[in-house]
Amino acid sequence: MFKRILIANRGEIALRVIRTAREMGIECVAVYSEVDARALHTRMAHVAVPLGGKLPSESYLDMNKVIQAAKDTGAEAIHPGYGFLSENAEFARRVVDAGLAWIGPPPSAIETMGDKIISRRAMREAGVPCVPGLVDPVADVEEAVKEAEAIGYPIAIKAAAGGGGKGIRVVREPSEMKSAFRAASGEAVASFGDGRLYLERYLDRPRHIEVQVMFDSHGNGVHFFERECSIQRRHQKLVEEAPSSIIDEETRARMGEVAIQAGKAVGYCGAGTVEFLWSGGEFFFLEMNTRLQVEHPITEMITGVDLVREQLRVAAGEELGYGQDALSINGHSIEVRINAENPFNGFLPSTGTLHNLRAPGGPWVRLDTAMYRGLEVGLQYDPMLGKLIVWGANREQAIERMIRAIQEMNVGGVHTGLPAALQVLEHEAFRKGDIDTHFLESLTITSPEKYEALAAVAAAIYRHKLAKRRALAPADAARTGWTARARGETAAYVKRAGHSTSFS
Amino acid sequence: MKTFVQIGETTHQVEVTERLGELQVLLNGEPCELEYNEADNLGQIILMHGGKSYAMSMEGTPHDISVTLAGYRYDCELEDERERAANLAAKAANKGGGVLKAVMPGVVVELLVAEGDEVTEGQPLLILEAMKMQNEIPAGGDGIVKAIHASAGTAVAAGDKLITLAAKEDA
Repeated sequence: MFKRILIANRGEIALRVIRTAREMGIECVAVYSEVDARALHTRMAHVAVPLGGKLPSESYLDMNKVIQAAKDTGAEAIHPGYGFLSENAEFARRVVDAGLAWIGPPPSAIETMGDKIISRRAMREAGVPCVPGLVDPVADVEEAVKEAEAIGYPIAIKAAAGGGGKGIRVVREPSEMKSAFRAASGEAVASFGDGRLYLERYLDRPRHIEVQVMFDSHGNGVHFFERECSIQRRHQKLVEEAPSSIIDEETRARMGEVAIQAGKAVGYCGAGTVEFLWSGGEFFFLEMNTRLQVEHPITEMITGVDLVREQLRVAAGEELGYGQDALSINGHSIEVRINAENPFNGFLPSTGTLHNLRAPGGPWVRLDTAMYRGLEVGLQYDPMLGKLIVWGANREQAIERMIRAIQEMNVGGVHTGLPAALQVLEHEAFRKGDIDTHFLESLTITSPEKYEALAAVAAAIYRHKLAKRRALAPADAARTGWTARARGETAAYVKRAGHSTSFS
Repeated sequence: MKTFVQIGETTHQVEVTERLGELQVLLNGEPCELEYNEADNLGQIILMHGGKSYAMSMEGTPHDISVTLAGYRYDCELEDERERAANLAAKAANKGGGVLKAVMPGVVVELLVAEGDEVTEGQPLLILEAMKMQNEIPAGGDGIVKAIHASAGTAVAAGDKLITLAAKEDA
């Protein structure tokens, strides 16, 4: 096993890796940018190396600096976390070339899975179900009608040059094809200057379900069942759970096998996630994330396996040492991401200083975060501040526990998405498991009216007390943060709810 | 003193008086029995009302206070009578007109309106990508799009003009 590793990341994931490494007697080297000089990961690591620079490109994304830091500190391996360089094949290659171990999959697997077209081709060849459709554009309406028969309705007509949902037309039966094809073609020309269209099966009410896999370098692989991440907004996940409420034993086993098949097809090693779209009882390969995922803790909670420990073991060349039979699901787990964003105002990013922080506790509540009081939340990095994770004997208990934990939690100084998560968890459809990837977008996030008058009263009294304190405070007295704030001396607090825009 | 507390669409009138340390509160003119305690001077308060205890976290300035209660959050805008009169007068003078500026750096992904369009308060005007997230930027009031200062695909810095809205009467 390694004696010392470098973690090429920041925030909660750096802490996550440090924690397991410490438990395994492995020393950790943290790297940090100028902005992160006081960040928690630099304090919890055994060694912290400044990379300098304010921008990610000057620090966490600078391959030379990161590899040099590993060499200078005698680290034997690099853990990339998620984001930053974690899915960069060139970086993985350079780490290996520098004589260090790469705690991740082989660079070739990162490359294959990193390309949408190449990965789907590889998966089709490996017998992994992909969304039925054409790789090549169709020439005209007649061809489209013919091909659509083979693919199966409903059909999505997509612009070859498009993206982000633009130029997509849904066709439910052949008679609609003609007009939809013309409209989509015109739209594609207008938007992208390229009228080429291709056809794909349109998935009604899709659900995002992914399978956690782990392979060693000796050809052994297992899966750790599925996670459901359908509660998302613009591909940003908010609430994740494991297992999924829609997957039965048989589908679970089949998805697991397919996921392992997918990994084996690209010579995978280490931890990975195979993402599927589930619709009407069928599931289709979406993509593979060649790293540890943000939502990995819910899998840990239901399987009792420390995934970072397994990552480190297989990266050091150890065999997994157990097979699929050794793994089972116990209970239910939910994760809520704590993002600095304002759910009442279009989930706009929220910035500020965390002047107050109350963490929830109690049985089966886990908080993975790098937040601390005084942390300045800016725009330099990802808005995710941490993750709240709970376990329950069943889904209902897990939901109740998460609601309770969110109610205990207080992050003062920025808006977070927690009220939105609370609204999801209390929603009848969610509790019944009747969700899809559009669920969150369909909600209007508001706080319940029942507390509104109470909040108004409290705010008015609070203002009254602030004014009184201000009137009583001698001018030269030592001021607390609160009276300073009452005087509007801390610029960070003068922001209004809709602080991404201002009218002048 | 009478305070107007606006939460979302609703304005609550709260009158707070303190005599010999004893708080008296009128909510929309009706007496409101309660007990108010501060747990610390960091904004943690406890409000007893109707036989129940509510733990709240307060943050903000005298004009903008956010109340966190049972995991939910209420953004309150507060005005006393004098401030309310002044703000109403200012609003009447402005009627939804104004210049929309970017407060954070980002990239304009898409413009959702064109010059001359009539817009209503809250209507998305453009999509600004910042921190890898696409954000819809809404109109702050009813008006007419007078000028668009940014085009799709351009990067904007904080403070850059995005869109000028004219009040309906001016256009």
